[in-house]
Amino acid sequence: MKMCRIWQKLVIFLLIPIFLAIPVTPLSEEGGQRWEVLNPEGVIKIEPMKINPHPSTLEGKTVLLRWNGKHNGDKFLDRVGELLAQKVKGIKIIKSWEVAPETVDPISGSQERSIELMKKLAAFKPDLVIGSQAD
Amino acid sequence: MTIATTEFAGLAKDTALSQGVADGCFVTVSHPMGMIPLADIKEKAEKAFPQILKAAIEWKPVAKLPPQKPVYPAGRLEFKGTVEDINRQLYASGFSLGLPVIPPTPESVAAMLKGTNRKPDEVLGMVPPRMGALTVELVAIHAVMAGCKPEYMPVLIAALEGLLDPKANWRGATTTTATSAFLVIANGPIVDRIGIASRQGAAGSSHHANASIGYAVNLIAEIVGGSRPPSPDKSTLGGPADFVCWIFGENEDALPKGWEPFHVDRGFNRSDSVVTVMGIYPPVDNIDHWSVTPEEHINWWAHLVTPLLSIGGPAWITQMDQPHIVGLGPEHAQLLAGAGLNKDQFRKAFWEKARIPFSAWPKGSPNTDLLIRRFGPVKPETPIPITFKPEDFLIVIAGGSGKHSHFFAPFPGCFPVSRLVRK
Repeated sequence: MKMCRIWQKLVIFLLIPIFLAIPVTPLSEEGGQRWEVLNPEGVIKIEPMKINPHPSTLEGKTVLLRWNGKHNGDKFLDRVGELLAQKVKGIKIIKSWEVAPETVDPISGSQERSIELMKKLAAFKPDLVIGSQAD
Repeated sequence: MTIATTEFAGLAKDTALSQGVADGCFVTVSHPMGMIPLADIKEKAEKAFPQILKAAIEWKPVAKLPPQKPVYPAGRLEFKGTVEDINRQLYASGFSLGLPVIPPTPESVAAMLKGTNRKPDEVLGMVPPRMGALTVELVAIHAVMAGCKPEYMPVLIAALEGLLDPKANWRGATTTTATSAFLVIANGPIVDRIGIASRQGAAGSSHHANASIGYAVNLIAEIVGGSRPPSPDKSTLGGPADFVCWIFGENEDALPKGWEPFHVDRGFNRSDSVVTVMGIYPPVDNIDHWSVTPEEHINWWAHLVTPLLSIGGPAWITQMDQPHIVGLGPEHAQLLAGAGLNKDQFRKAFWEKARIPFSAWPKGSPNTDLLIRRFGPVKPETPIPITFKPEDFLIVIAGGSGKHSHFFAPFPGCFPVSRLVRK
């Protein structure tokens, strides 16, 4: 009997540090565990880009139609170009796929390639660019 | 001015915003534009024309970007309830993929950060399309959520640094309609050191390092990068690699005599630990139980990959300038090497055989004109290669025993990027 009590004391003695090592989690009134976690979303970091205002009239201006290669985008822009030519005096329409066919293929390409393409198209000095996105 | 269909206007606006344009000029037309007759597309243009004309002369930029906050340290969230409850709440907040995650407590994230010498406030880059700033601390948060061990951190960081390289085209691979995914290949001593599977079923289940690193990559893509369906992730169907990406170590032990490991081909030393990433389409499984000569096997390869127009250059011509990865099973590699072929001889023979007749391209594809410019006058039966040069067939020894190899075609604009693994 005496031996048994000694063992009980020893077991309790050994368990105390284990209990102390377990962090005590505060319980809410409803008994749920309270969690503090780090936000996994991350902060958006974007450098602002300035966009030129559109011209106040298209008369006498140059409009570049930009096709990205997606099906029918060129046909859509073709019709827009026809209508612009009918409705607006002195407008000049440039079709990217005719003047710079190499700008058609990099669909879904990298940002670097997009910038390279835009530079090629900017060389035509358009007053406005109309791009067809599709699908 | 950008013209997009109702289904894609959101993606167009998100893309513009991520480039710093708070309010681009958009005109929306009813979906679809592609795969409809000429009369219908003209009608759509006519219907949209008054709106296009008005926007052309009246649109003015007005909105400004929201104020930017500090990227470090990560904010703290409070939840109450069980692990199941917190998982439901994280999912409802858009902070999980729908699979369980381990709550990233400050203590567990601090422990995870011990796996790297990188400072927690270091910004690795902005994850597109949302352009979330990816700090090392944020990587650790997602590593905890995915169940990674701290020693996986250097591999995870190297993979993310690779994906953040503009050559990897992270944006394209995560916002496309295609069933694209990331491929991560590990080489060198790190593979065995942290237990990245590289042999039987390496890219499949039951491999802790592969599973948790692959899961963490996708958590970061969707939560920090914001690429979630239905927009800006426009995947028509999507797939399981949206949860855990393709990831395996090269089976360097199974390299035939005289064949160098993949990372050595890419300019690293054999003793380097390297991670290579690439945005890919789902791979094609080459099942070849029968070939006994390299000629037969290469012939079979060529016929397997050429009819599948979605896997290579034929889909978009940009892919013809991009490397494709041939994941050779060890038994197929031994067949080739046993007959005396080295890697270069195999890739050249495969490339020369893998041709598609020009007539395969749909008439509406812009590639037809581009191919004519590239190859000169062509006939319907003119054979067109999958890539412009044989060097773009990269070879990796993938998996264990069995008569299977895999062909990983790149998503357009996605080039393989390799990074040294650094603690």
